[in-house]
Parts: sequence; C-alpha cells; structure tokens
Amino acid sequence: MRPPDPAPLPAVQRWGAVVWPSFFAAAVATMVFFAMFDPAELSRIAWVGVELDRKWGYTIGFFLFWICTFSSSLFTSLLLRGRG
Amino acid sequence: MTKLANEAAVVADGDLYRAAPKIYPRETDGRFQRLRKAAVIVLLGLYYVMPWMTWNGRQAVLFDLPARKFYILGLTFWPQDFFYLSWLLILAGLSLFFFTAVAGRLWCGYACPQTVWTEVFLWMERWTEGDRARRMKLDAAPWSAEKVARKGGKHLLWIVFALWTGFTFVGFFTPIRELGPRVLALSLGPWETFWTLFYSFATWGNAGHLREQVCKYMCPYARFQGAMFDPNTLIIAYDTARGEPRGSRRKGSDYKAAGLGDCIDCTFCVQVCPTGIDIRDGLQYECIACGACIDACDAVMDKVAYPRGLIRYATEESLAGRPSHLLRPRVIIYGLLLAAGFVGFGWSVTHRLPLIVDVVRDRNALYRVAGDGAIENAYTLKIMNKADAVRSFRVTLEEELEEEGEDEASVKLAGGAPLEVTVQAGEVLAVPVTLRAPAGHIHGRADVEFIVEAVDEPGVHYEAESRFFGPSS
Repeated sequence: MRPPDPAPLPAVQRWGAVVWPSFFAAAVATMVFFAMFDPAELSRIAWVGVELDRKWGYTIGFFLFWICTFSSSLFTSLLLRGRG
Repeated sequence: MTKLANEAAVVADGDLYRAAPKIYPRETDGRFQRLRKAAVIVLLGLYYVMPWMTWNGRQAVLFDLPARKFYILGLTFWPQDFFYLSWLLILAGLSLFFFTAVAGRLWCGYACPQTVWTEVFLWMERWTEGDRARRMKLDAAPWSAEKVARKGGKHLLWIVFALWTGFTFVGFFTPIRELGPRVLALSLGPWETFWTLFYSFATWGNAGHLREQVCKYMCPYARFQGAMFDPNTLIIAYDTARGEPRGSRRKGSDYKAAGLGDCIDCTFCVQVCPTGIDIRDGLQYECIACGACIDACDAVMDKVAYPRGLIRYATEESLAGRPSHLLRPRVIIYGLLLAAGFVGFGWSVTHRLPLIVDVVRDRNALYRVAGDGAIENAYTLKIMNKADAVRSFRVTLEEELEEEGEDEASVKLAGGAPLEVTVQAGEVLAVPVTLRAPAGHIHGRADVEFIVEAVDEPGVHYEAESRFFGPSS
C-alpha cells in the first residue's frame, strides 16, 4: 500500500487535522465528564455567582474541553511544521 | 477517452482547497451502487424518522440531557449506566476490526456518515447541475443566468437539507414534536439554535464541500487500515494479470494476438471514483471501498463482451492464484469476542437492577452528641427508582456486621424501626437518615452498610456502604 503523501499539507487539511481530532477528543471528554458530574451540582458549588441550567453547563463544558484540546492540537501542529 | 481528457477532469479549485483538485465523480449504476443506495436510504431513513417515533407515549429515542436520562425504545439509561455506553463503544470498535479483517472498508463504503451524507449531497448536485460532463462544463463556463440558477438551486437544496439535518440532530436531545412548532414560531432557545446551526454547518461543509478530503486527510481509520488487513482480506482489486497491458483496441479485434490484456483503458473506473484514485495502481489508502469502479468496469466489460470482474472484490491470495481462507485466527478471535460481548451486553442490559442508592454523608459535622451522650451521624440516601412504576423501598442496616465486633453492631437507625419510603417512577428521592450509637461504643470510625430493598420485589435489593464516625477516645 502506498504511504500517505509526504508533501506539506494545504491549509484546509492542516486546519482539519487540528479541528477534527480536538473536536472528537473534546466530545469524548465531555461525555465521560458529565456522565460522572451533574452540571447543575457543579454550578451550585462553583464560586461564580451565576445560576446555570444543565444545557448551559454541557455547552460551556464542551467548549472548555474543546479550547484545551484545540490549543494542544494547534501547538503540536506548530511544532511539527517544517522549518522551511 | 485519453489520459489527457482524464486529467482535464481534475480542475484546480479556489483557495480553500489549494493543492486538492476538485473531483467530479461520474455517475454509474450496478450491484454495488444499488447496495449503497439501499444503505443510504436505510441509515438516513433511520436518522430522520427515529425522533418522530413514539414508544409508550414518549419519544422512542430521546437523549434527554437536561433530565440526564437517555430513552431508547423501552429502556431508560441513567448517568450511572455510562458503563454500557463504554461497552457499546468497545463492541463498535471490535466490529470494525472484525468486518475490516473479513471484507475491508465496508464501513467507509456503506455506513460512515461522511460517505452516506456525501452521497446524498452528490445526488442533489446531479439534480441541479447535471451529470459529470455538464458539471465540469458548468464550472469552466463564465457566469451566466443559467449558471447562477443551477448553482443557486444546488446551494439552496444543500442548505435546506443541512438545516433539516441539524434540526433532526437537536430533535434527538429535545422532544422533536415540540421543537418543530417552536422553530416555526421562531422561539428556539439559544442552546437549540446554536446546535441546529452548528450541526447543519458541519453537514453542509463535510458532505457538500470537503467530501473525500475528510476521508483522505482527517480520518484516522484510513491510516491504520493496513494493520487490520491481511492477504485474506477482501479488497477491491484490479486484476493486473488479466488486464495488462492495457490499451485501446478496435471492437472485435483479436487483442490477445496484439499482446493486449482485457483492460481497454476507458478510464471509467477513474472517473467514477469519489476519491479520484486509479484502482489499477493497486490498493491505496484513499480507497473507501464504495465499489463504483467495479460497477463501472463490469458495465464496460458487458459492452465489449468480455467476462465481468476485471475489477472485483478479491483477496491478495486469490489474485496470486492461491486459495483464500475466510476462517483464520484473527477472524475467529474477533468473532468470538464480538459474540461474547454482544450476548453479555444484551443480558446485562435486560437484567439491570432498577434501583441505585448513593449515600452522602452530612458534610458539616463528622458526628453529633445527643442529649443522652449517644453519637449520631447524619446521611442523605439518594434512592433512584429506575423502574417505570412507583415503588416502595425499605431501608435497613446490614446486621451481619455484628460478627465483626460488638461495637459496630451498636449502630442503629435513629428511629429504631426500618424506614419505608415511596419513590415515583424514574425519580430520585433524597431521604435524610440518622444513625445512632449509644455513648462509648464507637471510637474513631466504623463501617456501616445500608440495605435498600423494594417492598414488593424481593430481587430488587441494593447495598450501599458508608462510614460512621465517633469521638476518637
């Protein structure tokens, strides 16, 4: 079988390689995390004085995870970029 | 058709794609295309219809995140059942290994949402822009009223379909029959609006624009398929021995005498390929095993009256003229694991205990000394009745701990008698419970075990451990 093309990736593919795996990892993390912790309870014990319902809890949680995984993937892609 | 024309089929597109040329898959018909169409209709049919079906008066499949409950037909899953989801994912992974070992990328060709939705978006492109030749001509032509109408029509169809897809997606999480009227009344909440648009955008982008690039550059499965293949795996293969040397020939001529193989080099197999590869170069990671090249080649073989199967499902062994084996250690092991996994899953899901109890200790004080010197600990029992019926539960303390020591046996429910509580179907009831030990019996820490059992159903029985604390001396 022919190995994947070693040529530098076009922009859309580079971004795809950052956006997609980080999205997937964030989705899995969100699922596991919120299966164990109820966002309503978390909102109750948080010091931030905002009352959030569960839907907002899930949404914020998902995007927090995504920011983390996205940053990590982006950082990796920067490190892996050729020096040219 | 010559090589040149074939290359002309690949037209460089705008900035977004840069090095990736636009692919115009040619339409073809045949066994595998009909099979794919059937798979698309069944799978997408399930997706779009399922949220509208009801089961015992409630949406048949509803992932009710705000209530933290998943309803799937007659089953209700709680966050505590997360284990089943992990189990299911492991089974899904194993199935992928199993089917890949047997027949290659069946998943990609028939079941992957990416290829399934891409297929539908391609249909819409064909309805509005015409067949492959017309689409290429249209893209190359300068802007005209017709081009605007055709392109506009395509995008309109795409966007409406994508929005419907996003709406359906949210309908798995919010009762869809209430969601519909709210969409029409433009009174969706921010949460529903966001996820409808987000999912629509992802569908439109992936199936309409990125298409095969998702498979080539974003999908991990394509990259590690090599580890799952072996020489006995069914792959889509071009029979090089039979086809080469390829070349055009006059109809009815004795091509064998001229030293030619069966491949007439019509390049139809390349034109129909949704990922733009030439299967005659051998197995490639871009191949999504859709079988379009098989159908196209078979049709050509019929036309020139050669036997079918120049491109076919074959194993490396069979192409080399050796016998292939379906049953081999990896297939047998995957198969046994899968069978055991599914049987275990089915049994376990249908034999779930419809009761969960969590014990939460009072966080404010370790213990309290009552007026008579007795030590009291406070707890909250969260009793979750997962059944679809109201149930009464009896709460007692495990008595057998007596054997472990006299002192621990001195811990009793504060009221003395067992507690009885009634919990509504699918509800969680928080029951405050106080345990009490006479003065001087408990020093430091003792283990206690609450027993919660359904009054009318002897089998429904849950034991939950906790601690009882007293003064250290």
